[in-house]
Amino acid sequence: MPALSQLALVPVPLGNNGAENSASHLGNALTVKGRLETTGIVHIDGKVHGQITADRLVIGAGGYVEGDIVANDVRIGGRFTGRIYARHVTLDGSADITGRIFHHTVTVAKGARIDGRMPWRPLNFFERLEHLREAQ
Amino acid sequence: MSMFSRNDKSFDTNSGSTTPARDKTETSVAPLADTKRTQPPAPTTYEVATPQTRVVSVISKALKITGQLESTEDIQVDGEVDGDVRGVSVKIGSNAKVKGTVYGDTVELAGTIDGKIEAKKVVLTSTAHMVGDVIHQDIKIDSGAYIDGHCRPEYGKATNKNAHATAKPAATASSAPVKTGSVAEFGQRA
Repeated sequence: MPALSQLALVPVPLGNNGAENSASHLGNALTVKGRLETTGIVHIDGKVHGQITADRLVIGAGGYVEGDIVANDVRIGGRFTGRIYARHVTLDGSADITGRIFHHTVTVAKGARIDGRMPWRPLNFFERLEHLREAQ
Repeated sequence: MSMFSRNDKSFDTNSGSTTPARDKTETSVAPLADTKRTQPPAPTTYEVATPQTRVVSVISKALKITGQLESTEDIQVDGEVDGDVRGVSVKIGSNAKVKGTVYGDTVELAGTIDGKIEAKKVVLTSTAHMVGDVIHQDIKIDSGAYIDGHCRPEYGKATNKNAHATAKPAATASSAPVKTGSVAEFGQRA
């Protein structure tokens, strides 16, 4: 049992490239309609309507995302509507979420508003999701 | 007898002859008040990646976007965009690929565009690869740039404005297909 929890805490990089130059930032004036796919980090302060696939995703306090998120690690400080599929989820106090959060580990700060369910899933559930994502 | 009055309590502690029940209330109240006082404010630290340059939005080389981007500020594209890009100052990096129209006040191209550029000021650097028309008011083309298309100084003219207006709703309609079907199946199962 301790081995499993240890495993859960170590973020597994999905991509093989360095994280420094693969960080994307979507400013608060930017609106994206469509799919976002990356093996790196995405920081969203703007609006996104559509599916996001990333290793690590951060939605800033002013950000708004509507759609599905498939990622290794998700941190939300803004508004989100849709479904999250992530091993590790962190919801900040400013988060406002409507939808479902499929997670393995989750952290929710005081003040976060969540309207929906937060189903726990074993790690292999997320592995299956990755295969599915690659096939798309 | 007022059991919890302040005077009563102080008297009890001073005299030292407290009943076990009263002692309990004392000890349970004291730490509560203590924690309330010493509790640090809720951690509001938030790691926001503030870009150093004026470029407010960065599409990194690992990011692929299928759909349209719209911004009232600057955009730097180093990744891949399959759709239209609208911004004020748009920079397409040397390894970037855009398939669609790039609108802006200023468009600087060092990568590849397969589509169209509509901008007041257009700069094609030596590594630029442009397939499609360039609609501009002011253009600079460096030696080595590749262009397969027309360069037309028609930006801001009446005919072009109409095209600009009609192009927008059409693009929104076409960029809708967001494949969520397979993920949705997972959601249903849950």
